[in-house]
Amino acid sequence: MNLVRLRNFAAHKPVRVALFFLVFGFLVSFPFWASRYWVDVGFYVGLYALLGLGLNVILGEVGLFNLGHAAFWAIGAYTTAILNVRFGLPTLALLPISALVAAGCAWLVSSPIIHLRGDYLCIVTIALGEIVRLVLINNPGGLTGGPNGVVGIARPAFLGHVIRTPMDFYFLVWAVVAVCALALRQLQRSRIGRAWNYIREDEIAAESMGVDVRALKLLAFVLGAALAGLAGNIFAAKMRMVSPDSFTFMESCLMFCIVLLGGMGSVPGTIVGAALVVLFPEVFRPVAQYRLLFFGLALAATMYFRPGGLWPRRRAVEFLVERPGR
Amino acid sequence: MRAFICGLVLVAVSAWAQPILIGFQGPLTGPWAVEGDWALKSVQIAVEIVNARGGILGRPIQLVVEDDGGTPKGGTLAAQKLIAAGVKFVVGTYGSMVCMPSSELYEEEGVLHINYGCTRVDLSARGFGYYFRTSGRDDSQARFFVEYVIPLFGAKRIAVMHDNTAYALGVAEDVLRYLKPLLDAGEVQLVYYDAIMPGERDHTPALTALRDANPDIWYYTGYYPEWALLLRQGKDLGLDWKKIKAVGSNACPISETVKIAGLDAVVGAMITQEPLPAFLVEKYPLAKEFVAAYEAKFGPIHDSPWATYAADAIFTLAFAIEATKSLDPAVVARYLRSGKVVGEGITGPLSFSPEGDRLGVPYMLLICDEKGESARFDPAVHGHLVGL
Repeated sequence: MNLVRLRNFAAHKPVRVALFFLVFGFLVSFPFWASRYWVDVGFYVGLYALLGLGLNVILGEVGLFNLGHAAFWAIGAYTTAILNVRFGLPTLALLPISALVAAGCAWLVSSPIIHLRGDYLCIVTIALGEIVRLVLINNPGGLTGGPNGVVGIARPAFLGHVIRTPMDFYFLVWAVVAVCALALRQLQRSRIGRAWNYIREDEIAAESMGVDVRALKLLAFVLGAALAGLAGNIFAAKMRMVSPDSFTFMESCLMFCIVLLGGMGSVPGTIVGAALVVLFPEVFRPVAQYRLLFFGLALAATMYFRPGGLWPRRRAVEFLVERPGR
Repeated sequence: MRAFICGLVLVAVSAWAQPILIGFQGPLTGPWAVEGDWALKSVQIAVEIVNARGGILGRPIQLVVEDDGGTPKGGTLAAQKLIAAGVKFVVGTYGSMVCMPSSELYEEEGVLHINYGCTRVDLSARGFGYYFRTSGRDDSQARFFVEYVIPLFGAKRIAVMHDNTAYALGVAEDVLRYLKPLLDAGEVQLVYYDAIMPGERDHTPALTALRDANPDIWYYTGYYPEWALLLRQGKDLGLDWKKIKAVGSNACPISETVKIAGLDAVVGAMITQEPLPAFLVEKYPLAKEFVAAYEAKFGPIHDSPWATYAADAIFTLAFAIEATKSLDPAVVARYLRSGKVVGEGITGPLSFSPEGDRLGVPYMLLICDEKGESARFDPAVHGHLVGL
């Protein structure tokens, strides 16, 4: 009950504005007082937030079980790597191109499977993730470099400023996250967002009310993949190499965890989930051998005590609790 | 003035007592956690030995340990953590693709980085000034297989199997490269060359194809979990290691393989291997001291060469810092690059090429004997196990 009271308190506009500036100020000032290591951790929180936001569109908004999201991340990363290393295109200019290629691939592969529901779609997406990884390993046309990957990706440059330090990358990734998060919030309140949620809650009802289920599901897949493509570009630029070991099934599971932990369909929740998934293993570094054990326990505990996620979408609560006047 | 002198003395005294930080980066979690654990224990023993002898420049070594989980991302985080801790010398890591982004960070920060378990050839071709490795490279092992193992058995029909990981594919391709003159001359035949899927449980299709190819010798260049399954399922399929000489890569430690596959499937199987500590004790006094100290603290010595190389990285640093009387990584790196023998470690004389590669890494052929122990292959003793 206290949480509901807290939520109602946070719903007051001045409180929300203050909270927003507090978080914003923290995120902007963070790299100036934190160590390089923590800035890098902050970078990975941003990267996984971006991946989580992408999956959140598919899994959270529309309720499509996608356990192969790492595939689109890999496609984005390899697009950047191949176009930069073999054709010399600037890395930052490849940011939108990586998103487009990932989105295109998502459209191609999800078109025939989009009518599948629940577990069936889940199985197909697992296979999809593995197929992409194996294709990369098999080095088609000598492009992906096989298991050795592609190395020597150029550092991105923005208006003559070369992005190289952890702080540069931190701002790059969080700028992209901020833009995407704002856009997704707007999308949630739009006709498309409401239609997505309708499909998630009751697909048959949605269809009978004239919602174009197939087109909207495809749109979610394509949009989610595009965000993963963005993350792939930034990841490739940061590591300066890509190899298939980075895009394992485990990564897809982590993204799934991010969305479930944060709360399905919740943008701030996804970012909180990403922070948890990245921070937890890092905080438990001193007990190196057991840190994954603690991570698993924390996941189980969160799901037990907060089954709706840490920061669930508010809309669901609005029906249940009478809100004090603003 | 007096205060100044007092201050100087204080600084000198505190510098005397202050330990030298040496970082260790390795896979303490993840798929290669066994290797990471062995390497860490070996490094700890090496540090104890150096400290017992009075440390480096009279100062003790203090280890700063970071786990990289065996992933490229984990590697960068571990490297950042070590750099943030103010470490100027780092020993690590296992796995070439993990090493690549981390070593770039070390290079940028001017941290001397000695690698112990990454054998990808082009790691040392990046023109780095602070990168070294105490292990060999992929192609040294392949060369040993082609130029020593194949003639030893007079094998004519060769089978090569890998698992498409960076490491296994590298070795397999190098085998082909060294094999090419023999193939062109028609002296040997390559009857099987294919990959299996790591993580898969059933390798019967690959083994059936292998049996049909009827090779004299079969070289598997991947890691031990698959190697153990291959041997077990091959045995169940009726393959005979007396007819097909089964040779695994150096990533297939015999003790681990026996644990998974059972002794009966592994007897007679061989591996190409950097010298293991157990076989080095006869030759090098430091190896003897190291093995004794390790067994006193942690029990029986591991049979991973990589962990031994990790310990040798500590000795390399100790010798080089002592010789240059400098804690400046740039000075120490320049000294290491000169190609001089900096000292005798566990695995023999330690010297490096200007690119940072270890000079002169010897190999040997090990066999799993009837007791399931690793033994240096001796045709007179073990000939009956491989049908000689």
